[in-house]
Amino acid sequence: MENKLSVRNLRISFRTSNGKVQAVRGINFDLAKGETLAIVGESGSGKSVTSKAILGILAGNAIIESGEIIYDGKDLLKISEEDFHKIRGDKIAMIFQDPMSSLNPIVRIGRQLTEAMLLKGKARQRECRNNFNTYLKHLNAAMIEAEGQGEAARLTESCKKFNKFEFKHIELEKAYRNAHVAAVETGDDIAKIAFEMEKNAVGKDAADRIADIARQSRESLNDYVVPMANKQKVYALTKALKREFRRASRTKNYKPVLEVLYQLRDIITPAIGKPVPNFFRMGYYVTFSGQPLPNKPVEELNDFLLEYLNREFMNQFIDDAEKALEHSAAQSYANIRAAIADLKAAKPVYARESLDKKECYATQKALAAKVKAAIDPLSIVKDSVSWTFSPTLKSDLDKYFAAIRSNKKAIARYNREKRRYDRIIARGKQAGWELAAANVTDLNLIKENIAQLIDRLTEHYEGMLAAADSRNYRDETVGVIDYLMHNASGVVEKVTRSIAKHRAIKLMDEVGIAEPHKRYRQYPFEFSGGMRQRIVIAIALAANPDILICDEPTTALDVTIQSQILELINKLKVERQLSVIFITHDLGVVANMADRVAVMYAGKIVEYGTSMDIFYESAHPYTWALLSSMPDLDTDEKLEAIPGTPPNMIYPPKGDAFAPRNRYAMKIDFERQPPMFKISDTHYAATWLLHPDAPKIDPPKAVVDRIARMKARRASGNEQ
Amino acid sequence: MSNKNVSQETLLRVEHLCQYFKAGAFTTKAVDDVSFDIKKGEVFGLVGESGCGKTTTGRSIIKLYNITSGDVYFKGVRICAGTQKLKEELKAAKDDKTKAEIRAKIKAANNDQKNCDKEYSKKLVAECKAKYEPLLEKAVGAEKTALEKEYKDALRKARNTRLVTQIQMIFQDPIASLDPRMTVREIISEGLVIQGERDKKVIDEKVYEMLELVGLVKEHASRYPHEFSGGQRQRIGVARSIIMNPDLIIADEPVSALDVSVQAQVINLLNDLRDRFGLTILFIAHDLSVVKYFSDRIGVMYYGKMVELADSDELFAYPLHPYTRSLLSAIPLPDPVYEKARKRIVYNPLAEHDYSVDKPSFREVRPGHFVQCNEAEYQAIMKGLKQDA
Repeated sequence: MENKLSVRNLRISFRTSNGKVQAVRGINFDLAKGETLAIVGESGSGKSVTSKAILGILAGNAIIESGEIIYDGKDLLKISEEDFHKIRGDKIAMIFQDPMSSLNPIVRIGRQLTEAMLLKGKARQRECRNNFNTYLKHLNAAMIEAEGQGEAARLTESCKKFNKFEFKHIELEKAYRNAHVAAVETGDDIAKIAFEMEKNAVGKDAADRIADIARQSRESLNDYVVPMANKQKVYALTKALKREFRRASRTKNYKPVLEVLYQLRDIITPAIGKPVPNFFRMGYYVTFSGQPLPNKPVEELNDFLLEYLNREFMNQFIDDAEKALEHSAAQSYANIRAAIADLKAAKPVYARESLDKKECYATQKALAAKVKAAIDPLSIVKDSVSWTFSPTLKSDLDKYFAAIRSNKKAIARYNREKRRYDRIIARGKQAGWELAAANVTDLNLIKENIAQLIDRLTEHYEGMLAAADSRNYRDETVGVIDYLMHNASGVVEKVTRSIAKHRAIKLMDEVGIAEPHKRYRQYPFEFSGGMRQRIVIAIALAANPDILICDEPTTALDVTIQSQILELINKLKVERQLSVIFITHDLGVVANMADRVAVMYAGKIVEYGTSMDIFYESAHPYTWALLSSMPDLDTDEKLEAIPGTPPNMIYPPKGDAFAPRNRYAMKIDFERQPPMFKISDTHYAATWLLHPDAPKIDPPKAVVDRIARMKARRASGNEQ
Repeated sequence: MSNKNVSQETLLRVEHLCQYFKAGAFTTKAVDDVSFDIKKGEVFGLVGESGCGKTTTGRSIIKLYNITSGDVYFKGVRICAGTQKLKEELKAAKDDKTKAEIRAKIKAANNDQKNCDKEYSKKLVAECKAKYEPLLEKAVGAEKTALEKEYKDALRKARNTRLVTQIQMIFQDPIASLDPRMTVREIISEGLVIQGERDKKVIDEKVYEMLELVGLVKEHASRYPHEFSGGQRQRIGVARSIIMNPDLIIADEPVSALDVSVQAQVINLLNDLRDRFGLTILFIAHDLSVVKYFSDRIGVMYYGKMVELADSDELFAYPLHPYTRSLLSAIPLPDPVYEKARKRIVYNPLAEHDYSVDKPSFREVRPGHFVQCNEAEYQAIMKGLKQDA
């Protein structure tokens, strides 16, 4: 399965006045496409912190000590805030625990749903224009460099031409697509409302829907959808439709409305299945040929236009672009080789016992220049490893040299406090306050991170060089043209208020909100808890994300609503191939949702496996304790509560964090942290009980009983 | 968990309780004609989705709201009485005789609603007087002054004692329900102080006893609520309610806001206390597995109405009302195989019932098992039950 997200060795702490709280201590997991990973644990186990780190919304006092979160080839912990804007909400979305506090109480639901769409639409337009222009500029420059100054005038001219007809193409295509969508939706809407009218059970928002049908049927007028020849007829029909509906809403006789609707349908529905002309080719013809389009059937027209385009422009342009790509790549490879040598030379500089400040920064500057030169401006995929390298290196160095100073201060402060504390204790009094641990930053960890950073870039470069021979520049040129086309369409596609509203209403319908037209104009307080949570889900889904993070979305809701919401998330997950990270402490919900489960305790993953592994063959005492501490419908005996409270993460325990609350703790649990033991290919647990030398221990009776009951239920279910 | 010490004596009886809230032109019927009784020593669970009026029922019983109509009897004494239904009857009434009767009823209801506590304390004062006055007459010298002091104390306490304080409440949110500016000692002892206890020593002793009872230690008494974890805070809430020696505790979702592991601690604590003191508990919750585990009898509420009431085992084995069935089908269980196959039953009151002609009422279909239904449904249920048997 395709991996969407992987988290490696993530460590996060929080600076507080009492010392550094280590919230997450080195966790690893992967999330595949279309899979649900549930993270289970008590509050304070670091599950929310992990999810917030993925979304880049950690609190201000958080320190990311090490680790990486790889999404789409990028390390989310290293990319700039600007790049994160493109991912957050757009690619990775989050559903929060409390729907009331994540909605704005004084703004109508509709505004809140469309706000992000409108803003994103504007930002995307700007960004696409920028991308298109810079890329074409780079391409032009590379072309000239590849073929010599003699050809400069011709090449610049052809780039300009491409720019011009590309925009024409997008405009034509957009007009067609809008009309087509309008036609399809009109067909659907007419079918729905006609059904209701025949049954004489028309909903309250029928007037809005009739207005929609009228608007859409006018919008579907286009040469290749509903031919313009029908314009008069459609306009007359829509007018009649509104008039008849007004009359019918008084008399309750829907017959005349139905007649108009059927007439409208007969004009619009045949338009839907028509063949489509190729607008890219047509754009060129319309812009440069200076002649009207020949009147031919669509298939023949397409062939004619293709031939015209290739003869006049495309063959030459592709040849030029290919040469430019090859030239630019060759240059970049030369620079990469130089950069690798420099990286290798720079490594010992950052591995010394104590770093030399001047030397470090000078090397960093030199490396930054080299790495920048090695980036191929014509590569479509943004090379984020190279882009993030020098800022990360610089910030790591800043951190290192700042830490040297602050560590000195912190230790001095600690010693002072300790002397004071000892004096008070020596006098036989109570201090009344606790001695806070010195807030010391681990310098070696930073050095390790720097070494890793350099290694990673070197590896990345070596990989690129190895793949250099297998590149096919012809294919890449086609990719480049697609890329330009995509950006051009982004510029032309404007998200207007009415389009956003339309999309929002469809989305509300999708998440199961009845009468979305009416609900669109209401305030959050007019919704019940479950409905509010649906709105939050709709907002999260508006951008069509890849990954959905659900932070206890149903904890505040009651069972019926909870199960509706869970069904909804499951349905959307299947429909859209979403990957879901589901955070909760309710094991019943986990059983419902999860494909895989990670059980977290005190900032570590203590058990990791498929949901069958966790529920039927759990191996960690903490998982046992969680399972036996919640009653199910057959529980009769006393519940086995977990004694005590989670450890204070300012002073994380030396051994297994769960040992003090663990009935099965052994001596080694208090001394050394257990590694992850592998039980099967999918199932891992961090407990010394799995060590070959450990005594054999059975899970507690409550868990064994429950598993037996589950198996019995399954067996009886199979018989039926 | 079944309880052995359930007696037949009725501790609390709720009759036709209605609680309406007016907001402008709208009247929200939060609780509409709910009747049930709670036996001494049992745990009565109240379940339903949010907004169905289960919390309002609990709050009305403890007189946090003035009820709209209906009666609540505690230990045989009417503590809440609403008059709206009676007033409507009065309007409809034709002849003077019935009018006078209804007027008398309204007067009595108002009197009970207002004065039940006063009358109770009057009774206690009388008892106190009867006990001490003959003793005082006999006593002489130093003995007499001591006795006089004791008498004064006892009299003050009797005057300040209320019947309703024998019902105590545990609130849902342990953070919001504790005053952040009071120490734990002040929070727990507040009830005692209001009741007239002035002896610091007695108060401290009682507070320490309660803290130990709920699994905290003496040292915690001088701390503030924010220094505790969620589970410990809820324990403080429990200690505050049991220091008054209540007969009935209304636990309004005491574990909903807690972590799983802590939930078990609090449930075990409540279970221990109930075994030890024979407490009666009205347990309001929406987590059905917890309710099933903890309660002897369960009432299911839907939009202000009680739709089904039965013994907990009986309810889970033979749910008769369609809403109960839908509720039971929504419980998530920690079993992936079962969960992936679970089908939720959707309850749509308009599709399920036809109440246009025959209005439903609360009927007993098996001993101790009540369902809200009309005549046709009642016949159908009885037929189904006979077939099962």
